[in-house]
Amino acid sequence: MNRPRRTVQAITAALFVSLVPVAFAPPVLASTQTTVVPLQHMKLDLTDREALRTGALYVLHRCSACHSIQGTRFSSIARQLQISNSQIQRYFNQSGRSVHDTVVSTMPADVMKKFVNMTPPDLTVLAKRRSPDWIYTYLKSFYIDPHRPTGVNNVVFHNVAMPDVLANLQGLQVPIMKSGWLYGQRKPVAMGVKQLTQGTLTPAQFDSTTQDIVDFLTLVAHPHAKERAMLGPWILGLFALMSVLSFLLYKLYWRRVIMPTRRWWHKQ
Amino acid sequence: MKTDPAGKEHGVMGWINRRLPVVDIWRDQLAGYAAPKNFNIWYFFGSLMLLVLVLQFATGLFLAIHYQPNPNLAFWSVLRSIGRDSRWGWLIRDMHVTGASLFFVLIYLHIYRGIMYGSYKKPRELLWLVGVAIYLILAAEAFLGYLLPWGQMSYWGSTVVVNFVTAIPVVGKAIAEWMRGSFVVGAPTLNRFFIFHVFLVPFSLLALVLVHMIALHQVGSNNPDGIEVRDDCNEDGWPREAVPFHPYYTVKDVFGVSIFMVIFFWFVLYNPSGWGFLLDKLNYVPANAIKTPSDIHPLWFFLPFYAMLRGVPDKLYGVIAFAGAFLVLAGLPLLDRNPVRSIRYRSTLYKINLLVMPATFLALGYIAGGSASESNMVVGLHVTEMFYATFFLLPYFNRQRSRAATLVWLVVLEAVVWMVDYWMYAIHAHSWSLMLQTDWLPALYIAVVLLLALVVPRLSADARVPEQLTMGGLTH
Ligand code: HEC
Ligand code: HEM
Repeated sequence: MNRPRRTVQAITAALFVSLVPVAFAPPVLASTQTTVVPLQHMKLDLTDREALRTGALYVLHRCSACHSIQGTRFSSIARQLQISNSQIQRYFNQSGRSVHDTVVSTMPADVMKKFVNMTPPDLTVLAKRRSPDWIYTYLKSFYIDPHRPTGVNNVVFHNVAMPDVLANLQGLQVPIMKSGWLYGQRKPVAMGVKQLTQGTLTPAQFDSTTQDIVDFLTLVAHPHAKERAMLGPWILGLFALMSVLSFLLYKLYWRRVIMPTRRWWHKQ
Repeated sequence: MKTDPAGKEHGVMGWINRRLPVVDIWRDQLAGYAAPKNFNIWYFFGSLMLLVLVLQFATGLFLAIHYQPNPNLAFWSVLRSIGRDSRWGWLIRDMHVTGASLFFVLIYLHIYRGIMYGSYKKPRELLWLVGVAIYLILAAEAFLGYLLPWGQMSYWGSTVVVNFVTAIPVVGKAIAEWMRGSFVVGAPTLNRFFIFHVFLVPFSLLALVLVHMIALHQVGSNNPDGIEVRDDCNEDGWPREAVPFHPYYTVKDVFGVSIFMVIFFWFVLYNPSGWGFLLDKLNYVPANAIKTPSDIHPLWFFLPFYAMLRGVPDKLYGVIAFAGAFLVLAGLPLLDRNPVRSIRYRSTLYKINLLVMPATFLALGYIAGGSASESNMVVGLHVTEMFYATFFLLPYFNRQRSRAATLVWLVVLEAVVWMVDYWMYAIHAHSWSLMLQTDWLPALYIAVVLLLALVVPRLSADARVPEQLTMGGLTH
């Protein structure tokens, strides 16, 4: 038998043999039985300054009562929103902290402990930890649940400790129950929500407000997006160019090396 | 450099060289190193690792300046002091993180190159062993470094791994406490991990790499044909089928480096979390000692070992299986004593075995990426056995065996597999039905290979090694 055929056969056979364990794995891996609710998709826009400022207003006025954003400072936010330090102090910062301070929740820790019985997670890199779509879906998916201390539950975050802090804008909602998996058991789970009462915003307005909040949180999580986009083409271009040039140089040098003409698979 | 008739070098470099042989070292060991002509793409990875090593040292230095090894500060010092407050800190950090992961991509490819071309065989046994030591030290370095950002996954990953150490009889608990400096992972742990990560371990790595290079230059490079080029020298003692490293392989390596840098910076600038492989998403949450995550994983390059640790029913045997993986790797010069080095001239069945080896390793990683369900662990156990089987089949191929000998090998290896399985069953009450779902994996694999060898002896026959180098691949 000649060599290329032998090699090809070996590779095919090995692929076949090695696929066996992999082929066995999927049903096994699928056994974490928690129903995955499909996320709602939103179009991110990190360039719309008005939207980002609206988002910042909501986050710094409402969310930062409970949540800290310790990775960022008021002055950095001002820079990202392209407003002055005095503007951010006057209209956005309600904590009384200095403009170069980090954003720390305004509610004292012991009050928070009593209120929600935990320290709410920091929002700095939440958009990376989850995803913008997840936060978007989360903020729109609170529903009435009399069994919870806060009176609400959430479709994508079962038994969440956070109250529905946007309820006055959105109105109240009830769940759409479907059969699904929860902690390894088959039972009815909330797969979506239905509007029960009207809020102060129309559904379209609320939707756009939520998007603004998510836009802003995404901006906070990715403070160097601009630098990355600026550096990327240059650095990659530089090394791509170097690759081409060094390849030509390599070919040039190796021209004088007398290479064996035999191929290893022609041996024998 | 000019020399006078007495062979004395002139100029500043001559002056220096007579006192410190920098020029001699450059001439004899670097520029003048005789490298076989037929290196292929697999020979890029060693020099690429030297580059990454330098990058890790350089970026690590700047990270250490701003990092705070204190549980209350660590997470935010990485995220804020390094990531946001210091100029270009984010770039340095993403380079360090990407470098760490790509280091393992490179080392796995480098090791597999050595396996394919039999580079561990005489006279390169010590070179190989130093390599395995480097791999261990690099793994330690990565493990230590992963705790530093003090995220949820850092914390719990370290907790789980150190807990496996407690399985070692008699001294295990003491070692684990000594590693942590405490009964749980905490402030003392973070402090010592930091100091080991930036001081002791990287410099040991550096020293070992130097030893690696010295050993390499003592024995010379192997090549894809596995032919000893130093056996065929001209009157000047220069191997006929070698070229001087400089300029031939320096230009080639510059090409390799350029391509690598495109990939490297693509990750750094466009995909710093590497789809969650380079940076685990849970590490965006600060460590919380009272909130155990539902799925705890090490970083991707340890996943295959994690599958072994989890898959073997008893903690201690799990640790043995894990350590054994390093041992069989180090033991390759003993396991495979066939005089033919390169996979190119080995038998078809040997080739299959050498492709199944990394395939099982990858499959183990895939399995460990899933949940810690019982069935998942059992698959892990059997793929671990299959991984080991690829190593213990190696001695079979040392020469072409008679039918009778093949039969004996078949019976013995099968017996070992089933005994190990029974033993594992006896230790831990996985139900037989669950065990049997994948039990046949290693058993069938060994059976297929050895039965084929029995029925079609041609498949276990090595080819004749050519006298001179040949070319393969796509170039020339
Ligand atoms: C009353 C205090 C409070 C306010 C105000 C608040 N949250 Fe929360 N939030 C919480 C708590 C508590 C949790 C933790 C829930 C849990 O872990 O069960 C939470 C969790 C979250 C999560 C999920 C985090 C995760 O683990 O992935 C998101 C997203 C979030 N909040 C966003 C917001 C946004 C956006 C706002 C402003 C519109 C906001 N929160 C306002 C208390 C609050
Ligand atoms: C920090 C990690 C390492 C560095 C920087 C490194 C560097 C190098 C370099 C520069 C070479 C010569 C170029 C080449 O052949 O690619 C080489 C060769 C070699 N390395 Fe490594 N190495 C490392 C880890 C390892 C490991 C983990 C092993 C094995 C377990 C290993 C085994 C070998 C062998 C056998 C050779 C000779 C290969 C041949 O000639 O075919 N190395 N190494």
